[in-house]
Amino acid sequence: MATNPRVLIIDDTEEVLSALCKYFDEQGYEVVSADNGLDALKLLDEDIPGFDLVITDLVLPNVSGVAVISIVKKKFPKVPVIAITGWGEHPEALAREAQADLVLEKPFKLPDLEKAARKLIAGGTGR
Amino acid sequence: MGPPIIGVSKHIQHIRELVDHVAHTGLNTVISGESGVGKEVVAQNLYSRSPRLGKPFIKINCAALPEGLLESELFGYEKGAFTGAEQKRRGKFQLAHGGVLLLDEIGDMSLPLQAKLLHVLQSGEFTPLGSEKELRTDTWVIAATNHDLKQDIAEGKFREDLFYRLNIIKIHIPPLRERPEDIPPLVDFYVKEYAEQLGGENIEIPSPRVIDRMMQYGWPGNVRELQNVLKRMMVLGNCDQIVNELFANQSENIGGPAPVSDIKRPVSLSDLLDLEGENSPESESFSLKAIKRKAVDQVEREIISYVLDKTDWNRSKAAKILKISYKTLLYKISDLAITPPPGKKR
Repeated sequence: MATNPRVLIIDDTEEVLSALCKYFDEQGYEVVSADNGLDALKLLDEDIPGFDLVITDLVLPNVSGVAVISIVKKKFPKVPVIAITGWGEHPEALAREAQADLVLEKPFKLPDLEKAARKLIAGGTGR
Repeated sequence: MGPPIIGVSKHIQHIRELVDHVAHTGLNTVISGESGVGKEVVAQNLYSRSPRLGKPFIKINCAALPEGLLESELFGYEKGAFTGAEQKRRGKFQLAHGGVLLLDEIGDMSLPLQAKLLHVLQSGEFTPLGSEKELRTDTWVIAATNHDLKQDIAEGKFREDLFYRLNIIKIHIPPLRERPEDIPPLVDFYVKEYAEQLGGENIEIPSPRVIDRMMQYGWPGNVRELQNVLKRMMVLGNCDQIVNELFANQSENIGGPAPVSDIKRPVSLSDLLDLEGENSPESESFSLKAIKRKAVDQVEREIISYVLDKTDWNRSKAAKILKISYKTLLYKISDLAITPPPGKKR
């Protein structure tokens, strides 16, 4: 990849968010983060270079992850989205309906998530 | 349509920001908050900032209607679908097509109807009662509730799958007591509005000192209570006394027995009408006309008692304030069995 891919990571659990950010940063990504859906929408609206990938938790305060996925897919149809979700949560089906490119159930291994991210950015299916 | 979202608190600023960012999406939304905080105002603001503005905005209160009636209101029915269905009637989902359907008090919807609502939200289709044809609907569903729906789920009263399907956007409006800094701008807005409505001269408006006191009060009925208090102040004058009464009633209600329905402590209309109890739709005497009569009587009794109290039972003064004739007032006092306080002549 010519430049470092830019990734927006959204999760309202501080430990999860910081772990994800740290890992992607170490892997050479340019990381931007938000701990709720509204801040994520603001970043998506204001960020000029745009993002190569969005990774979002599903259960979030105010604007849910499902909403973030729908909005990203409408405004930026080419930007791939990975949804991460707690075990057995109902929104998983909603995330698929909202056209998330990949739904990953917690717990998952960070290298697996990164591998899927890399494939999606390269235009693959993430699987 | 409707007032703007008024306030300077960080909560209200956050809500305005949220509305601006999600109004164009048409994603299912839940607005939560205590009675009287302004859930409908937020719904109207979502609508008026959305591309659906100009299309229908339909509201239905899920707590006000018995289950069968709510179902036929929502989905409509064909002629002959049930006894009394003399002609075809379109449901709210059909009426709101292209626009917004506000489902107020969603937490009071029965479980069987929740299942039907879930089906509409999943498929975008519904079937009117007595029909075999599925109709498509493109409706932005906004639900409002004063319940803690998570708690309702835990108690088996609300479907979890419906909760997640509705909760794509959540907007919580905190009670007024948690954002007293919003009181001065709210007072300012409604004083202007009511002054215009009342139109008269010499209308008394709350002084900065009174507004200061209002900021100390707990407002169990939230903005709706604030509106009622302001109206009372502007109609009757004597803002100081009215604000003092608020505090007096508040201390009476603390620790005492559960307060009975009185005008100072707004309750839901269904409580006021005792729809769960004496006036239940199951009862023999239930009819819209009878309930309406009872409600009107109750409202008249409250208002007339209040004005008589204020005028120290000066009946001609009270009649003038109420804009009814002296004779009508006397008739109503006896008809509604309004009794004077001890020491006053009937």
